[in-house]
Amino acid sequence: MPKLPRWFVAIPMAVLALATIYPLVFTTNVAMKTRREYVLDRFSPADSLSWANIVKAWTSVGMSRYFLNSVIVVACSVALLLLLGSMAGFALARLRFRGSSALFLGILAALFIPFQVIMVPLTRIMADTGLVDTYPGLVLAYVAQFLPFTIFLLTSYYSTVPAEIVDAARIDGNTVYGVYWRIMLPIGAPALLSVGVLNALFCWNDVLISLLMMPSAEHRTLMVGVTSLRGQYSDDIPTFASGVLIAAVPVLVVYLFLQRQIADGVTAGSTKG
Amino acid sequence: MAAQSLSAVDAAVPASTAGVTSARRNRRGSRAERLAPLVLLAPAILIIVGLRLWPLVLGVNFSFTGDGDRNGVAVGLDNYLTLLGDPLFRTALRNVGLLVLLLPVAVAIPGLLATFIYLKVPGHRLYRGVYFFPAVLSPVIVGAIFNLLLAFDGPLNALLGGLGLGPVDWLGDPDVAIFAVVGVHVWATFGMALVVFLAGFATLDSSLLDAAKVDGASLTQTIWHVIIPSLSRTIQFVFVTTMIGMLTSMFGLVYVMTSGGPEGSTYLPEYYVWIQQGQLNQPALASAASTVLFLIMLVVGLAQVAVLRRAGKEE
Repeated sequence: MPKLPRWFVAIPMAVLALATIYPLVFTTNVAMKTRREYVLDRFSPADSLSWANIVKAWTSVGMSRYFLNSVIVVACSVALLLLLGSMAGFALARLRFRGSSALFLGILAALFIPFQVIMVPLTRIMADTGLVDTYPGLVLAYVAQFLPFTIFLLTSYYSTVPAEIVDAARIDGNTVYGVYWRIMLPIGAPALLSVGVLNALFCWNDVLISLLMMPSAEHRTLMVGVTSLRGQYSDDIPTFASGVLIAAVPVLVVYLFLQRQIADGVTAGSTKG
Repeated sequence: MAAQSLSAVDAAVPASTAGVTSARRNRRGSRAERLAPLVLLAPAILIIVGLRLWPLVLGVNFSFTGDGDRNGVAVGLDNYLTLLGDPLFRTALRNVGLLVLLLPVAVAIPGLLATFIYLKVPGHRLYRGVYFFPAVLSPVIVGAIFNLLLAFDGPLNALLGGLGLGPVDWLGDPDVAIFAVVGVHVWATFGMALVVFLAGFATLDSSLLDAAKVDGASLTQTIWHVIIPSLSRTIQFVFVTTMIGMLTSMFGLVYVMTSGGPEGSTYLPEYYVWIQQGQLNQPALASAASTVLFLIMLVVGLAQVAVLRRAGKEE
């Protein structure tokens, strides 16, 4: 690019970058303030790094309970998604059987059914089977929601594993299941990490499915917990901001370490297929 | 593809291990092997059919039955007529129209930013990581933060006040609120499209750009004649995913920022479905709204693919 436009563009882009970061900085600063400090001046840097609001949000407000609920549900959902997704992905990419391509297309079609379209009947199915307001119910709802995407990504990944590797393992006397367990799972580790992180984010960030499947207060996940804080603490913004921060920090940490894997998952399917 | 490998090995292994007992073992083994695809796929198929495809069929059926006293009774198109007569649903549809109008902007912004990053604008190494971050935050967190920022006495109005403008009641004015919510959605998700664009640029043939430079093409000419035609696949993907994102992932924002208000001005179809199902206990009406949403998504997706395919052919 010519010299002048470079800076002409760079300055707005830098401003945009600041605008992207500022909201979280502002929230962190508010979380560190006392209520009085916030009412007097919401923009000034907090007088001291005070963890009092964070501790309050974690203990007496109940964020720790919501946090634990989210961790349980996300961990179980991701584990199940990776297990079922890799089994299906391996079979679709590496086993020859009648109807495999039709099946793959069917799964792709399921990818385009948004939750909003099926939420009424799904809620009814869950209620009829007694799964509403239970951990297995929410886990099952998440697995159903994100499994097509997981299978799609893992199938395309396993399709890139050279056939010779599978052949060699078979000649060494492995059964199909042995090939899956001893060869495909370890080889697929990078894809499993990428898909796993993405699914963890989807489940962690969800609010709609959780609202419908976990109505009771003690089973609230973290995001639903944050929405419930809004009404309760509308006159105590620093505590509210602390709750928001507690929900955001795990995502920030994951992002700092696994940004590349997240981006890989997001962009898969955009350049080929 | 290399799905042929396993069956080839199946044939090869018994030949090398001849003998009656091992042959029998192999036959038993191969039966288990033949069932392997089924065993591996069964749980996934059960879940997808039972909890995604079946509910879709149920929901469409459900939309032709009644609520309350008429529960389970076939009512024809009554629910759809009720929807058309409901000002809240009409607002939701009008807002979808607004989203469609804003779609080119929501695609062009990340596209342009990705172009500049690809052309190595100063600081380009930093921007990708920064811009992408809000895209991984929950709409609930984003919405909660912007509740604070866009408050009537919040930072944005203070900033505008410093410039002698405003204040604007971002979330309280029915004419402004939907733009505030959509704006926040675009702020939160443009990084997603940006990353997809950058992945597209990675596949771009850089000799084309060099040729354009040698020919003395301006930046606009380069974008129009080199970058857009080469990235038509990526652009198509971003159009479709951005629209799907607008139609299906704004619930958290609307729920946290405005709860559909003020005066119902920020209703979207997905929020309408949730209110009818979760709050007003009208599941059949909610199913009808779901079906309309599904049709909108089908039409939008197919139309965009068709338009872009035609544009691609003209090149």
